[in-house]
Formats: sequence, structure tokens, C-alpha cells
Amino acid sequence: MSRLIEGTYYFPKSSQAVDAQLHVNGDMVSLHYQGQCRNSYHLASLTQHITIAGVPMEVGFADGAKFSAQDPLVRLSSPRNSLESFEQNKSLIIASVVLVPALLWFVMMVLMPRLAQSSVAYLPDIVSQQMGKQAFEIIKRTMLEPSVTEEAQQQQLKRQWQDTLIALDLSPEKYTLHVYGSEFFGPNAFALPDGTVVITDDLITQLDDNSDAALAVLLHEIGHVEHQHSLSMVAQSVSSAVAFAMIFGDIEGIGEILLGTGSTLIQSKFSRNMEREADDYALAKLEQLGKSGDAFAQAMQSFLDLKGKHGDSQLLKYLASHPDTQERIDKAKNYRVKVKQ
Amino acid sequence: MDVTDSNQMEQPSAPQTNSTRTVAVEFSGKGGEFFGIWIVNVLLSIVTLGIYSAWAKVRTNQYFYGNTVIDGHRFAYLATPMQILKGRLLAVALFACYTLVTGLFPIAGMAFVLVMVFLFPWLINQGLRFNLRMSSYRNVRFSFAGTYGEAFMCFIVLPFVGAITLYLAMPWVLSKIDEYIYSNVRYGDKQLKVDIKTGEYYITALIVVALSFVGFGLLAIVMGTMVAGSGALSGEAMILEDFFNGAGLFIVVGYIVLGSLISALYKARIRNHILNNSEFEQLTKFKSNVEVMPFAMLILTNLLAVLFSFGLAFPWTAIRQARFMADATQLEMDANAAAVIDTMEEQKASFGEEAAEIFDVDVSLG
Repeated sequence: MSRLIEGTYYFPKSSQAVDAQLHVNGDMVSLHYQGQCRNSYHLASLTQHITIAGVPMEVGFADGAKFSAQDPLVRLSSPRNSLESFEQNKSLIIASVVLVPALLWFVMMVLMPRLAQSSVAYLPDIVSQQMGKQAFEIIKRTMLEPSVTEEAQQQQLKRQWQDTLIALDLSPEKYTLHVYGSEFFGPNAFALPDGTVVITDDLITQLDDNSDAALAVLLHEIGHVEHQHSLSMVAQSVSSAVAFAMIFGDIEGIGEILLGTGSTLIQSKFSRNMEREADDYALAKLEQLGKSGDAFAQAMQSFLDLKGKHGDSQLLKYLASHPDTQERIDKAKNYRVKVKQ
Repeated sequence: MDVTDSNQMEQPSAPQTNSTRTVAVEFSGKGGEFFGIWIVNVLLSIVTLGIYSAWAKVRTNQYFYGNTVIDGHRFAYLATPMQILKGRLLAVALFACYTLVTGLFPIAGMAFVLVMVFLFPWLINQGLRFNLRMSSYRNVRFSFAGTYGEAFMCFIVLPFVGAITLYLAMPWVLSKIDEYIYSNVRYGDKQLKVDIKTGEYYITALIVVALSFVGFGLLAIVMGTMVAGSGALSGEAMILEDFFNGAGLFIVVGYIVLGSLISALYKARIRNHILNNSEFEQLTKFKSNVEVMPFAMLILTNLLAVLFSFGLAFPWTAIRQARFMADATQLEMDANAAAVIDTMEEQKASFGEEAAEIFDVDVSLG
């Protein structure tokens, strides 16, 4: 039983083409053009390129010649379970519409964050030390100015910090406190992965009459360092970017849109969790120092007051990257009660 | 061999003027058909942790190339999945190193960035070379003849010049980049001859700048009246959420519409200019007539469709785009299209091309 396939024959190494037919007879294939049989081949010596729905197959010959079929449905040989049949399988397509978003969510929101977080513990200390040192250099040059807080007040703040560290059994060498002015950060404090802690003039002024509140803010920042949050953030963003590059490497448009919105969503969720962890850390340490969680609540309240008073966008910088402030205040106030139970 | 080109499209179906005839570019891909291919490939890519994405890429390209028909002959994409996979793994490893180093060690990261500056021109060349060599038409491959020196000039030195002249030289820089890319395209033993005029880039840039000023200016005025009208500025309690619900939404929509228009304007004018001034001598000239407004509508509706379908409309938008571009393109072919000689040697891995894509320095041909 023989099959006839109409198409075009392309000569090797040139753009010459001719209308042609393939006669398929069992294992043998013969090539005909211009009314003559030109050659015959073993089926096994031919390669069938491009078997994809809607596109005619191409048959490659050993000498570099090519045959392109006319009918997009015709195939030289069609093995079962080919990729082509997968791609046309209605139930698989419908299942994919459901499975793709679900799996994507699982990979990006569960698998990658977990992988990132657990891998961070295995990184040597030198990584976070270098990371902190280099980040501090850059921040110092671009976003910080010399402090205008009086020397005496700075010294007092630093002494108090030393005492606190010793009381909490934390390393005073690691957690060095620096005071800077900063138009960029406004009233703020931050800690770098190597333990460098920075408090701004504006925050000192804001919490001037309440040193415990300032302490609460600083302990919150230390919480980030102890929990290696910066490293987790980097690991998280790298792993999700790599996962995206692997899955969507070439799919323009969709990859960019998902990467743009998706990764920021993940990051902000990640960072809200981190803030809660850091809050818990600060509250636990205040407790350990025999101080009330109210100090933390007061610090938060002062941010809220300031926002109400000025509506200044600078202040939003602190609030924007942190969870709902009222929620944090309530949590701090209730902290004692919870621990006692 | 007494072979003549006796293809079915060669009969007097197309109008003949002397020895040239105008030939349309046809695109026969279908949204529904490609959706199945795409979604199943994405699923397989996820469950194989990205390994299958190499096969997905090859199949997607085969679908688009195979559905692009000129003069009765289809384009073909020749890369194998293993070539893509090797290249992609290398590129992803480099990308991971890059993000890790710049993320963890900002200062060491700057050194890495410097290395990347020297690597980029090479990556761009490799990407163009691989993509063109893997493309064939009538069993003859395309190729790219650009050198590292030229690429370094075009992609590193000239953009720097553009920046220090306060972008006044930027249209000239862009014309030089396009000239470099297109004049180095080869089809078999034929060189693409392009005659790019820098003036066209300056006119286009002027229109784009003028349109941006007027458009964003109007947007700002309307915004201002809306905010003032709602009284949001009257008190100190200008709440951020209210801002984003009302006027902010307007801004976002206005921005997207204007962005689509500007992008369409630039791309349409430049594509038309380049293709209308390109030819493979004694083979074919090109004609491109992309119209700005329909193209802007296409960009805008595609963007909205992808956004509101959470990405599921992507296959449909890709097919629409390909059909739109094909419809706007014609060729003026010489009679002796059969006389091109393939001069290609084999190309092994696709690292450069994959890296170019992943680092987003991919340069695609219009």
C-alpha cells in the first residue's frame, strides 16, 4: 500500500526548488519530480523535522536537501504520544489552564521562598559581613549626611546601646551604632546584615523624651539582622528570577508583566512577614530587659502623630515599608498579656 | 541538472513588471491552535523545572516561522532543543552569579558590571548570529557578519556619546545601531544593503518628543483639575488611597494609552524606513507600510488583553501581532530567487543568544 505526498523539493546548498512528490511504500520512500523517479531512500535515513499542528512537515535528506509537504496534516510517520498530540489534546489543554496558574503560584510563593530561606542558613558569615560593609559604603556616600545631634547626646545614646547589648548577651563589636543626618530617610533607623546600626537625627529628635521608644525601634532593626532578613531577600529575588528565566526564558511580554507585578507582590509579602518577625524580636527583648511593650507602641504612635500633623511624604517612607501601624501598636500593648498567659 | 523554479506561486497570479513582481508576506498561524501549543508547553516547562522550556522555545519558533509564507515557501527554524538547553543553562548560571554578586556585594558588583559591559556587545552579536543562522528560507540560511569592534562601538561607546550630548545625538546613535544590525544580515551569499537616513530618526524623535509634551501636559492639566475639583488639596488630609482610586486610575490609563501611541509611532516609522530602504541585490526589495493608529490600537489592546486575562491571552496577542506585521510587509522579488547559494557552516550552542535574552539585551529584527 503506497502513499503519495505532494510538496516542494529543495536542492542542497541552494535556494532552487521544484514541485515534487514522495511515494511512501512501507520502509521505502521515493522522490519524484518533473514526472520522473529521482531517487529512493530508506525511511530510517530521513529525518522528519517540524511536527507541529498547522505547519506542514519537513523531511531532511542526508545530503542537506529538504522536502516540504503541502498539506499541513500529512506526516511521514506519526509515533503515538508525540508532542504534537499532547499539544492538541483537549483535556490536557483544559487541565493546563487550571494547573499552570496553580503550579506557578506554588513555585513562586511557596517553593522558591522556602528554598531561599533554608539556603541562607548555609551561607558563611563573611557573606553578610561583606554585604553589610559594601552596602554601608554606598548608603553613606549617597543618602547620609554628618549628624547634627549634639556630641553629648550621641555619646549617651551609644553608652545606653552598649549597656543594652551586654544585658541582652549580644556582641557590642558586631552591633555598632552610628548616628547620621539624612534627608532621604527622614526619621528612621536601619540595620545592615553585618550588624551596622544607623539611627537618623530626625528619629532622635522625634523620640527625644522617650529613650525606651528609641531602643524599641533599634531592637526591631536588630531583629532583622538576627533573622538574616536581608540575605533572605536577596536569595528570594535571585531564586524567583532564575525560576522565571528558566520557565519563561523566551516568552516576551508575559514574562515581563508577571515578573514586574509578581515579584513586587512577593517581595512586599515577604517583607511584611519579616517586619512581624522583627517586631516579635523587639518585644521579646524589651520583655527580657524588664521594659514594657508600651515603649514600642509609643514609638509607633509617634510616627502616626507625625503623619497626622504634617502629612509629610518623607514620613510615609517609614510607614510604607512596614505593616499597619495601628495593628503593631495593639500587638505591642497586648504583648505582656500574651506572655503572661 | 536542468531544474527550473516551477513553484505553484510563480504562475502569473502576481502582477509582473519587467522581471520583478510584488509578493505578499502571509501569516497563517491561528490563535486557538497556538493556545494549545503554548499552554501545554508552559505546563511541561513548569513540571520539568524549566528543562522543557528549551523544547517549548523551539516549538514556538517552528510554529511562527512555519506559518510565515512568502511566495509559497515557508520559513523554517532549525535550532535543536539541546542547543537551546545548553545555552540557557549557561546563561541562567551567569545571570544567577550576576544577581547574587550585585545583590550581596554592591562594590564587587560594580566590577562585575564592568565585565558585563565588555561582554554585552559579544552577547548581542552571538544572539543575532545564532538566531539568523537558525532561520532558513527555501533551504538557505541567514547569517550575521557583524564584528565585536563594531558592536562595542554601537552598543557601548555611541550610547555613551548620546548620553553626554544630553541625548541630542541619540537619534543619530539609534540610526547607527540599526545600520550595524541590518547591513550585516546575510541570506546565503547575499548581503542585505541598507540605506538608512539619520534625518528620518531626527524627525521621528521630534514627533515623539512633541507628542509626549502635549500628551503628558494635557494629562497633567486634567489631573490637576480633577484633584482640585475633588478638594483633595484643600486640607492636609490628602489620603493616598483616595488619590489612587480616582485621579490615579486616570493617570495610569492615560499613561498606557499615550505609551502605546508613542511606541507605535516610533516603531512604525523606523520599521517602514529601514525596510523600504533595504534590499538583497538581484533578489528582492522590501516594502513596509505599518500605519501608526492601527498599530497603536494593536499594542494597546494586546497589552490590556494580557493584563486582564492574567497572561492567558498571550498566544492570541502573539498571533495577532505576527499577522499584523505580515500584512504590512511586501517584497518586490527578482525572477532569479532560485540562485542563492547557502554558505553556512554548523553552529553548536546558543549561549550567546540565551544570555542576550535573559539579560534583556536581545535585539530582534523588525
